[in-house]
Amino acid sequence: MNLSEMETDALNELFNIGLHRAAASLSDLTGQRVDVDLPRLWVCSMEELKDRLLEVVTGDLATVHQFFGGPMAGDAVLLLEYEKAVMLADLMTGGEVALGGRLDQSAREVITEIGNVVLSSCLGAFGNVLRVAVSFSVPRIHIESLDGMMRSVVIDSDQGVPYALVAATRFGLSELEISGYLIVVIGVKSLELVSQALTERLGA
Amino acid sequence: MSMGAAAIPLFQPGPPAEALLHAGDLLDAGVLAVDTALVVRGWNHWLEGASGWSAEAVVGRPLLDVFPELAGSRAEAAFGRALEGETVVLAHRFHEYLLPLPAGAGFPGFARMQQSARLVPLFSAGQVEGAVAVVHDVSERVAREAELRTAMDRAEVASQAKSEFMAGMSHELRTPLAAIMGYSDLLEGEVVGPLSERQKEFMRRINAGARHLTGIIEEILTFSRIEAGREGVYPEPVDPAAIAADALALVEPQGNEKGLVILAVFPEHPIEAVSDAGKLRQILVNLLGNAVKFTDAGEVELRVRADAEAVTFEIRDTGPGIPPEYLERVFEPFTQVDASSTRAKGGTGLGLPVSRRLARLLGGDLEVESAVGRGSRFTLIVPLAPPAPGEDAGE
Repeated sequence: MNLSEMETDALNELFNIGLHRAAASLSDLTGQRVDVDLPRLWVCSMEELKDRLLEVVTGDLATVHQFFGGPMAGDAVLLLEYEKAVMLADLMTGGEVALGGRLDQSAREVITEIGNVVLSSCLGAFGNVLRVAVSFSVPRIHIESLDGMMRSVVIDSDQGVPYALVAATRFGLSELEISGYLIVVIGVKSLELVSQALTERLGA
Repeated sequence: MSMGAAAIPLFQPGPPAEALLHAGDLLDAGVLAVDTALVVRGWNHWLEGASGWSAEAVVGRPLLDVFPELAGSRAEAAFGRALEGETVVLAHRFHEYLLPLPAGAGFPGFARMQQSARLVPLFSAGQVEGAVAVVHDVSERVAREAELRTAMDRAEVASQAKSEFMAGMSHELRTPLAAIMGYSDLLEGEVVGPLSERQKEFMRRINAGARHLTGIIEEILTFSRIEAGREGVYPEPVDPAAIAADALALVEPQGNEKGLVILAVFPEHPIEAVSDAGKLRQILVNLLGNAVKFTDAGEVELRVRADAEAVTFEIRDTGPGIPPEYLERVFEPFTQVDASSTRAKGGTGLGLPVSRRLARLLGGDLEVESAVGRGSRFTLIVPLAPPAPGEDAGE
């Protein structure tokens, strides 16, 4: 499944809208300016996903999974390297959590909430353009290896061959930038739906 | 894996709704259900215990009647979002609590129960029919974390104070020492009048003692600066082999006096590197000085070689060696293998800890191998270029 350049641009815009909303929510939540932007976006198969992530992340990962259902269904993941997750939790709470460089339970909750805000903002933007309701499971945080993450990404088999929409994200706060990845795994059926909706919007 | 999109006809009578609410009674967490008008529809046993209100007293009343202070709060906004179909996570660090409930036993006064919460919309035939909030009491955890944080802060402050005290004290000690050395130099040089041979010998001893003490204080000072994170690195173009040759020249007389064979192997061509010459010299003088100091017979060898990335210095001696259990401890401050050797050989026990910390500041490292009765080999590796700023050059 290939997306045209125009579709990729539109997808980029969709993620941008979602992340902009997420940044506003996070700024509101923390009382400090939080920027979330999207330097890169790509679409790939699950086999490719692992290879490409291997190039950009190392060590343990902190991931927040949120399954979503409705006409568009799949798994959405916010992926951060463990150390970056510690930094992010620490910065977001003004140095209140992340004792001794570890994600304790409070810090995990903080990351879960950040994941929830980012994932639901982005998927909400998808829902708007598709004019469908997207419903979510309760988000779960995992500390796992890349292999572990690949195994924990689950989608219903009736959605067809899974594809990954991967948005490299950058959280900017306190003059620092923390990079992470937002991965939306959907079946080819959902991807076609998205592609179709984007084409309609673009054609209009 | 549940999609959270399951249609549960919660507020119509029937088995699923009742089953859900009964299940909620089994949980060690608060379960609260509201309908789209934010009227309480479910209130589990846990909430009855925590709030003191029975389900009969609460169910059927608007949530904002039960808790007027929720009006306009983030908690109310979170319920609003859940009723729009969103799943919402409230981390205690951002929100402290969802429902204003009193904290349990062990939290005196009017403390609030600290909570983390999850809110999920309930759908029926694609429409949001209400929302369920699950609340966890995290008061004890928060108190425990706060204690831990205070303890860590205290330890940090104490360690900082210790480093500052050491740095301050070292300065205080150096000032009078400078006077002792300066005036004894003048006396020994007979600037103010002739001395007898015996008086000159005494002056020499005073001077040597003062210089030794200065060396020890310098070590303490360097160590406390490194520990306090105040030791800067000043890279410049240097030839590490030339610095090693200088360092060797400094300790050679002492080695010759003890009858040791001093060997040195340098590369044929000068090495071009960018590093902090002062720190490199300090490490090498320290390592070579130790080798000579602790070796009573045999040889001390220095080998210098470079590859494309780093220069390696090997300092080998035929001294007493270090027992395996002490091998890593030699890099810990105030440790000497044999406490009696401190008196016999002198020194602070800071030479090796300082050397390793300096080596790491330069982006390199210092390692040791040793065999008791046969001698030790210290290997110092220093990169040809300094680590990029911001890169962790520390431990």
